Formats: sequence, C-alpha cells, structure tokens
Amino acid sequence: MEQKFSRNFDELKNIVAMTEAFFRQRGLPAGLRNVVDLASEELFVNMVTYNTESDEDILIQMVPCGHGIKVSLTDYDVERFDPTSAGIVDVDAPLSERTPGGLGLYLVLKMVDSIHYEYRNRQSKITFICEQDIEHV
Amino acid sequence: MFEIELTDTGHIAVVGRLDAAQAVKAQEFLDQIDGQCVLDLSRLDYISSAGLGVLLKTHKRLMDSHQGIKLINVNHHIHDIFRYSGFDKLFEIVPASS
Repeated sequence: MEQKFSRNFDELKNIVAMTEAFFRQRGLPAGLRNVVDLASEELFVNMVTYNTESDEDILIQMVPCGHGIKVSLTDYDVERFDPTSAGIVDVDAPLSERTPGGLGLYLVLKMVDSIHYEYRNRQSKITFICEQDIEHV
Repeated sequence: MFEIELTDTGHIAVVGRLDAAQAVKAQEFLDQIDGQCVLDLSRLDYISSAGLGVLLKTHKRLMDSHQGIKLINVNHHIHDIFRYSGFDKLFEIVPASS
C-alpha cells in the first residue's frame, strides 16, 4: 500500500486512516498501532518542518514484515538529514533543564524495532520496522 | 478527533488524538489555565511529541507559581510514552485503574 501526502500537518489524519486500512486489510495486531502511528507522525512532521526547500509530496509505503509492518517515508528534492543520528535527549534531566522539542526522533529510535536511512539523488528515505513480540502472536 | 474541555469536576478532559495537528488547539486552551491543573486522560487515545511539548510547556509555566499539572487516568500506552520521555519523573501521574 502506498500513498502521497502534501506537506501539511492536516495530512496526519489521512496517514492514520491509511495505517488503519493497512492494519485491517492485513489483520495486524492492534497493539502495534500506536508505535506505528507515533513513528509515522514524528518522521513525517520532521520532514515537513525541516525539509522546507521542497514542495514535493511525501510518499509513504507500507508492506507486511514478519509479524508486523515495514513503513517507508520518502521525501523528494531535499538535503540529506539522517534522523537515525539525531541527538540524544537527556530524559533524566530535571524540569528546569527540559525544553519542548527534540523528543520525537528520540521516541522513534527508542520504540521501533529497526530503522534505516538512505539518501540518493536528493531523495531522503527512512524505513522503520515494527513487529509484534513473538510471545504475543 | 481531538477535544479539550473543562469538566464538571473541575478537571480538564483531554480526548482523542493529541498530535502535531492539534497541539496548537491544546496549547491555546492550556495557556488560559492558572493554578493547579488536573488533566483527565482517560479518553486520550494517542499522544505524540507535539502533545508532550504542550504538557511540558504548561507544566513549567504553572510550576513557576508552585502549581503544575497532575495527570490522572493514564492508560498503559500513554504511560509508556511518558516513561520513555522521562515525564514520569516530572509529573504526578495517576494510572487508570484497570
């Protein structure tokens, strides 16, 4: 399943609808949904927010992977930015030192099972995999 | 779907999906709150980092006057997000009963 989305946060509801349709079609466990929704949103929002030089739509592709799902987001005509090398957030810092922002990519890296970045011909593609724990299948 | 509203109990109900598209609406509502703030998350299905940012910004503002946010009826998934984010060390959190 694949679909293109314009560079607008209002598209988040349509990404959720796509994910819902894919999960229903493939009978994937509902327990994976929140992580997939979170990773998809954070990566999409990151592209929209920081790859401002592009007007191209962002392509999202979903395919089954083991007991879970593999999701790719491709951004066209952009500079290289590897989200897998995002800075570490000190989640143990006291309130006075915490600032809004920076948590999105940290959460993605923490919660997905694997993540891969590739950059070629000004195309930035990030792929993540979420799989159900085998004992829960 | 996302809603944020004051309830009859004086708590603030946060309902639906608090994502980047809804963060401005949540922030505008919470910017008007002063004093102790209790957020009832029993009907919150989803929160992303944009929503976490709203909670953190509001909590810091209210803590300046020694108040802050208390999060109640937090379900398992949302609690996981708080734990991964270190928010369980910053906020008073009451999990959902079941």
